[in-house]
Amino acid sequence: MTASLIEIARAHAPLLLLTTPLLAAALILLAPISRLSWAIGVAAMSGNVFLAMDAATRHLLAGPWGGDGVSPLAFDGLGLAGAAIIACTGALAVIAAGAVMRQFEPRERPLALALSLCVCGGWQGALVAQDLLGVFLASETAWLASVALVSLSSDRGALNGAMRMISAGAASAALFLLGAALLMRGTGVVRMSDLPLAQIAAPMSSAVGAALIVVSLAVKAALAPFHGWLAAALGRTSAFAAIMLASVGVVGALAVTARFAAYAIPAPSLGESVTSVLTALGVASVGIGSLQAIGAANVRRLAAYAGVAQGGGVLLALGLGSPAGFAAALLQMAALAAAGIAVLGGVAASGCKLSVDGLDGLGRRAPLSGAAMLVGALSLMGAPLTLGFLGRWRAIEAAVGVDLWWSAGMIIAASLAGAIYAGRLIERLYFRRAATPTPIQHDPWRVVIFPVLFGSVLALALGLEPSVLLRAAQAASLQIAGEAP
Amino acid sequence: MNAEMGLLAILVLPVAQAALVLACARPPGLRDAVYMLAACASAGVAFFLFNETAHGAQAHVVLARPLPNVDLAFALEPLGAMMALLIGGLGLLHAIHTAGFARATHEKSPVRLMAFMALSSACALGVAFSANLFTMFVALQALTLAAFPLVEHNGDEAAGGAGRLFLAVLLAASIGLFLPAMVWTYAIAGVLDFRPGGVLGGLANPISANLLLVMFVFGIAAAAVPPMHRWLTASRVAPFPALTSMYALTVLPAGCIGVFKVAAFVFGASGLGDAHLAARGLIVLAGAAMCAAALIALSKQDLRERLAYSCLAQSLAAVLGALLALPAGLFAAALQITALMCSAATLLMASGTIAAVTGRTQVSAYPGLGRVMPWTLAGFALASASMVGMPPFAGAWAKLWLIASSSSVGLVWVAVLVGLAAILTFAHLGPMAASALSARAPPDAFIRPDGASFLLVAPVALGAVATLSLLVFANSLSEFLSPVWTPPP
Repeated sequence: MTASLIEIARAHAPLLLLTTPLLAAALILLAPISRLSWAIGVAAMSGNVFLAMDAATRHLLAGPWGGDGVSPLAFDGLGLAGAAIIACTGALAVIAAGAVMRQFEPRERPLALALSLCVCGGWQGALVAQDLLGVFLASETAWLASVALVSLSSDRGALNGAMRMISAGAASAALFLLGAALLMRGTGVVRMSDLPLAQIAAPMSSAVGAALIVVSLAVKAALAPFHGWLAAALGRTSAFAAIMLASVGVVGALAVTARFAAYAIPAPSLGESVTSVLTALGVASVGIGSLQAIGAANVRRLAAYAGVAQGGGVLLALGLGSPAGFAAALLQMAALAAAGIAVLGGVAASGCKLSVDGLDGLGRRAPLSGAAMLVGALSLMGAPLTLGFLGRWRAIEAAVGVDLWWSAGMIIAASLAGAIYAGRLIERLYFRRAATPTPIQHDPWRVVIFPVLFGSVLALALGLEPSVLLRAAQAASLQIAGEAP
Repeated sequence: MNAEMGLLAILVLPVAQAALVLACARPPGLRDAVYMLAACASAGVAFFLFNETAHGAQAHVVLARPLPNVDLAFALEPLGAMMALLIGGLGLLHAIHTAGFARATHEKSPVRLMAFMALSSACALGVAFSANLFTMFVALQALTLAAFPLVEHNGDEAAGGAGRLFLAVLLAASIGLFLPAMVWTYAIAGVLDFRPGGVLGGLANPISANLLLVMFVFGIAAAAVPPMHRWLTASRVAPFPALTSMYALTVLPAGCIGVFKVAAFVFGASGLGDAHLAARGLIVLAGAAMCAAALIALSKQDLRERLAYSCLAQSLAAVLGALLALPAGLFAAALQITALMCSAATLLMASGTIAAVTGRTQVSAYPGLGRVMPWTLAGFALASASMVGMPPFAGAWAKLWLIASSSSVGLVWVAVLVGLAAILTFAHLGPMAASALSARAPPDAFIRPDGASFLLVAPVALGAVATLSLLVFANSLSEFLSPVWTPPP
């Protein structure tokens, strides 16, 4: 019985990845008490983790695999790897919600949890959808849920962030639809997997269309110069929304960008425009994000700008257009998700002030949160033996492999900037004393600390022994290019 | 215990030392006993490893494989064993001195000081025993992070600024230069392993080889090749035990060893031949900077500043020897590192003792102190003589080999620079040591009624004895280190 159920679940895993969180969200709204809502959310996300990891193990690690065929919802290499990252990160965030949900009004708690599941479900849907319309619908679902989640905060300042998100989201949606229309008109195909072999009738409009889609997704991934909404949203919203947005929202959009790029780059006439846009956005994000992170005075804003810079690194790796570049991008996305959980979760778990000087001496006052933030900061700066270093190394190696030395230089520049802003975090945590004692730090007693610590342990463990992750990333990047390992 | 266990033990013991000191913070007697006992254990294991290496033992320990074909691995080889013996032996003296210093000065955070010094030792040992470039990169990064709290130890504005500069220079050089050089080497050679004779010889074209050498030498900023030396002069604000640790035992020697390993095990004679232009340019830079540092030291009245520049001059001599692309040059560099560690540790511990019991840190306040602190100032004078390069002290043999090896390849001007630096070193250390011993004793020299304790004096005296060690062991050391510059058949 159980085995047959598992087989059915496996057969419909792409559909379940999309629908489980959405159904759970509906159930949560009907649940009479908050704890039950949380339990439903945790159960749904745990199921998602199982499905995604099981599929990743079978398809990416077990051997050659040619994709799931022509179903509207199907796995492909990068989509599956991205969905696994989103499922794990989302599950950790939802588990952490058990403690941080108190920041919401009691009647808003189920709604916040339901919206967070919609964010996860939406991005996972966008990663398994095979045609551009499906990607659009799923990513808009995730985006609108994110906007609503941000606006739920009791701080009215969060509404400003939500408004900015609505504006950015509207522009992004318009660009995506316009881009998709141009692309379909020029290529005559709607399925992304058909793009590499498409007979392109109108190369120019197709190239513009593909570029517009990349820009549209870049807006949702908060890449420079379209990143203004992220700092505004993260700066004043609730801790839970901040974690979801930085670790699931941004990473989800980056994963969808990677997936689209992997189909568009091999297509004749599209590859050049897509790599150019990716590279330009990557350079801008690394430069602007790093500078703004160095100057940030608010921890969440610092994390937001650091995310922009790291996202720039992901785009630079994608812009290389090689399987090694896509694998490096996947590793960087995993590192970004883990660092986001560790840093923002650490801030939430300690309950410290959000200004950077609120971190002074936090390593002593809240040792577990401090340790998690330390690992997150080390990963952000690309310190050796962390997941962040692994991603950077592979990206530099991939850039050198295609003789794009300046791209390797940009990634190193991002690391240098990371050493400054993440080094500042570490200095504040462990080498400064708080000017005035602050009555916070319920650090060891909060449920939120466990997923946060798990995220940071993961960032370290996968940095120390990354062979499985490397195999999965390599298989994912090769599979989507039609070269099953 | 076999060699592999010894190798693991020597890396783990300082970490355990730090943890134990943190756990036994009170009472102070227990703290100091634990700290010294752990240092004693490290010294014992270091001696064991040295002995095993001398008998041909080999060990290779892989801790992780974070990248394909790249391990986080440590290997037992003669250079590492020599460094371990120096760090272990001098570290024991330093541990005793630190305990005395913390008591004499009523140090506010002795536990933190001791813990981070122990961690720095672990990282320096990691550099010494690193089996490949990646491991060395990791160990150097960890060393930077472990030594940073030592620079910031005093907690004031000056210490904060110095700490940030320290971190910025070392991390920026490491990430901006060492990391890309490492990736580039990997792209060319396909491996990052250290091998006698080098891995790049004949594989890298001259332009790549030249660029790589420059990137490596500046990327290992701990070696303080100008303009990467600013961390060294800025970190003088740290307390004396921290300075001893950074200049004599961990950061600066680790930098020198790093450059040595890159020259011997990554480039080799053949690779350095390919990078001839960069090697010559770096030799000119190191030689000129060595003389300039010794000259600048002469103008400094604060003893910590003077010793910082003096140590810089000595470390640059080691870099210079490593870049000569000769077995004799490598041997000279190894001797110079040994001499630097023994002499600098003795000088800095002596200065620390004087500062702790008399409160004097200015050069002008030293005359006559030898009359009231004969053992300490005698140690100071012997270590100064070694820094200058006076026979029969450790520094003399290093300078002699440096002059001989540079002359043998026609670089007579290098020999002249080495001689000039020795004269300038004499100028900034000699008269000070002489006046400290010969001038009239100052009235009310001590700020402590009981003068210097045994814990403060004995390590200085023993350190001074260590500067004489090369008189006996220079030839044996040459045989011991010969596998370093002899490629396997």
